[in-house]
Amino acid sequence: MANLKILMVCGAGLGSSFACQMTTEDVINSLGVQVDLDHSDISSALSYNPDIIMTAENFRSQFANYTIDESKTTMIYLKNIVSKKEIEEKLTPVLKAKGVL
Amino acid sequence: MEVVNFIINNILTQAAITIALIAMAGLILQKKPVGNVISGTLKTLLGFQVLSAGSSIIVQALTYFGQIFTEGFGMEGIIPSIESINGQAMNDLGLGSQIALTFLAIFICNILIARFTKWKYIFLTGQAILWMATMCTVFGYFAGLRGFPLILVGGIIGGIFAVAMPAIAQPIIRKITGSNDIALGHFCTIGYMFTAGVSKLVGDPSKSTEDLKLPKGFEFLQDTYLSVMVVMVPMFVITAAFAGPEFCAQFAGSTNYLMHAFLQAIQFVVGVYVLLSGVRLLLGEIVPAFRGIAMKVVPNAIPALDCPVLFPYAPNAVIVGFVSTTIGSVVAMFVLPVFSLPMILPGMLTNFFAGGTAGIFGNATGGRRGAIISGICHGFFITLLPALLVGIFNGLGFINATATDVDTVAAALLYAWLLLPLFKMMGV
Repeated sequence: MANLKILMVCGAGLGSSFACQMTTEDVINSLGVQVDLDHSDISSALSYNPDIIMTAENFRSQFANYTIDESKTTMIYLKNIVSKKEIEEKLTPVLKAKGVL
Repeated sequence: MEVVNFIINNILTQAAITIALIAMAGLILQKKPVGNVISGTLKTLLGFQVLSAGSSIIVQALTYFGQIFTEGFGMEGIIPSIESINGQAMNDLGLGSQIALTFLAIFICNILIARFTKWKYIFLTGQAILWMATMCTVFGYFAGLRGFPLILVGGIIGGIFAVAMPAIAQPIIRKITGSNDIALGHFCTIGYMFTAGVSKLVGDPSKSTEDLKLPKGFEFLQDTYLSVMVVMVPMFVITAAFAGPEFCAQFAGSTNYLMHAFLQAIQFVVGVYVLLSGVRLLLGEIVPAFRGIAMKVVPNAIPALDCPVLFPYAPNAVIVGFVSTTIGSVVAMFVLPVFSLPMILPGMLTNFFAGGTAGIFGNATGGRRGAIISGICHGFFITLLPALLVGIFNGLGFINATATDVDTVAAALLYAWLLLPLFKMMGV
């Protein structure tokens, strides 16, 4: 089975999504799971078909405008996108639900 | 000797190769598997070439815009764009490799300063360092520096900025985030501190922007490329209308001149999109390598991150800051020519990111009234500094160009006003 794909998203897909990705990588390593991580901008995010999208709380209303197939893509909104604690708290149940943890 | 010449002519002067080798060294230092080393190196190489392609698209669109603007309004209007400075420095001046090596030197100086002083900031916003490296290289080059000294001076100045800017912003970052875990790594910090200061004088911190209810229609502005498009399209089309169909025909050919202007505006956004995709590929391997090394060498390092990291803490303040900064930059556009400074058109990328962050700073020290008033002042301020640079850029052969990001502009002014006369005195 292919690895689970997690995509970090921000406005330009450059700085803060990348920072979020690096923090998530630490969390993932400590959980000991194999996933693919990448980052991108909002407009192209859904075309990646990721299993999980992690983004900042301020983009919630943006994603509300898109049709997201909830059975395929799970959204995770973060208040502090570089907090290991918050990422671990919110990501762990999703990984369990997806059956990789 | 032939081998050395080959290396100099085909490797060290080919910027894409230089930066790919830097990435490769970083990956090998981290003891990554061979597959990762190869893919990471190739991605970096690809990223650099995509970045160059993006900057030449931007330069084309801006050249067209410059011509119709001069015709339409009878004066020079400049869109400040660090991306286009970077493109011209690499393509026309052949400074790509020097920029890549200065980039590396800034990283190294940053680690050294953080290791041996009490300021433990590690600057992780790669594109900001790339723009800083660009400015230091261009201005060092014109101050007469070549080869190793050019890279060393750029590395030291850039490295000092990479530690000093997060350090001066940290008291307010602590207030915004309520912790000391992250710092702000964005070279618009002088503007943010200016905003925070003004806001403190005029504002009332008890009434936060976050209690405001903003219209839903503004929210799409968070999508960077859309918000750039929304501003560029009217700017191009209105300018083309003033320039008239006869003048525009030379560019538009048989296409309607307004439609052509519309498509050129889109083309500009395409350039920004391509360029930033290139930056994303380019930095994808280098920044984690740098982070891994820095965190090992510097105990208790505080990562300095890109400004949107702060946006979830005060999303309303971001919109307030963006709008008020844009108002300030439009005011400055009309006021500066009165004082015989060049007319600087609002640079929307900076207005969004720097304006949004300035809004958060303004809100932190002066609430909503502070954020609005200081945001307008911020817009004026970040237009004034680049305006001071235009004359110098013209002297350097960049026609009608200037940069954004006030810290990199400050670094450039430091070179132009301080180092250049100093080097002249010492006869370098």
